[in-house]
Amino acid sequence: MNEHVNELLMFQIGARVFASTVRDVVRIGNVAEAAPGTLIEGTSLGATFARERGVVVAGEAAGTEATLVVDQVLGVRSVPDSQLLPLPAFVTAVIPASAVSGLVLLEDAPTLVVDLPALVRERLAAPPAHPPPPHATA
Amino acid sequence: MSPPGPSSDAHPIGHGATGQDAWFFCLRILGGRYAFEAPLVVEVVRLGPLTRLPAAPAFLPGVFTHRGEVLPVLDIGQLVGQGTIAIRASTRAAVVHCGPWKLAVISDGLEGLVVIPHRHLEPPPAESSGMAEFLSGVARDRQGTIAVLDLPRLVEAARSRAVPAGSAGA
Repeated sequence: MNEHVNELLMFQIGARVFASTVRDVVRIGNVAEAAPGTLIEGTSLGATFARERGVVVAGEAAGTEATLVVDQVLGVRSVPDSQLLPLPAFVTAVIPASAVSGLVLLEDAPTLVVDLPALVRERLAAPPAHPPPPHATA
Repeated sequence: MSPPGPSSDAHPIGHGATGQDAWFFCLRILGGRYAFEAPLVVEVVRLGPLTRLPAAPAFLPGVFTHRGEVLPVLDIGQLVGQGTIAIRASTRAAVVHCGPWKLAVISDGLEGLVVIPHRHLEPPPAESSGMAEFLSGVARDRQGTIAVLDLPRLVEAARSRAVPAGSAGA
């Protein structure tokens, strides 16, 4: 029996690489073309340095969109279920509201899988953890 | 990797480990010698590449994978406010089971198993701050003083301190 395969979008914020399920992504966009007030940055994932790309996801309200500012979109990886791992129970107990839903083992290195809708909710509910640089425009 | 054998300065296997003795797992943290109940230790492993977690408290520097399992890393030094334990390529961790939690406790060095006769265990100092808050006893062997940690209580304190009052879950 073939193992279920998950499509994961790989992206980079700062020096770190993250993954998220492709079905949460509406499209990849250009930060400069995003509508004012729709950019999501300064999240708990860290600070961007290039702010070149945007991962567009559905917003909280129907018909709206939010754009997570990232430094690079690295592509899509097909990953079998066996490479997806849940967060340890102690981690979910200590960080109950984390936008990280689990980890994916890529070349034996654990990479965080981000729940993009949860990240958008987290960011809209709290001030930026990593404020954008002064030259950044929203 | 299994836990190292008993310290040669403590009672070696066969000479101690009677009903009058207690087994502890001893490690060095920020210049001190600490121990906790040996049965809590599942194994000793070399720390793999650490993945840091967003919004994690300082005592949880990240997670790593070991035999396909993701293990959280606990920095006891950070938890009790005594400083950060440096993580190096050679860092090893004691994988422990504390109630429902399985985690990897890092240290500056692992000494391994020691046997301490119950009669040599003394009450902890009356201090209630830092590491002293989590001590269940103090013992001495030929290498010096060993502070015995109540690890389950320390892990539970970590969990409760990280979760804001009124938060769901946990």
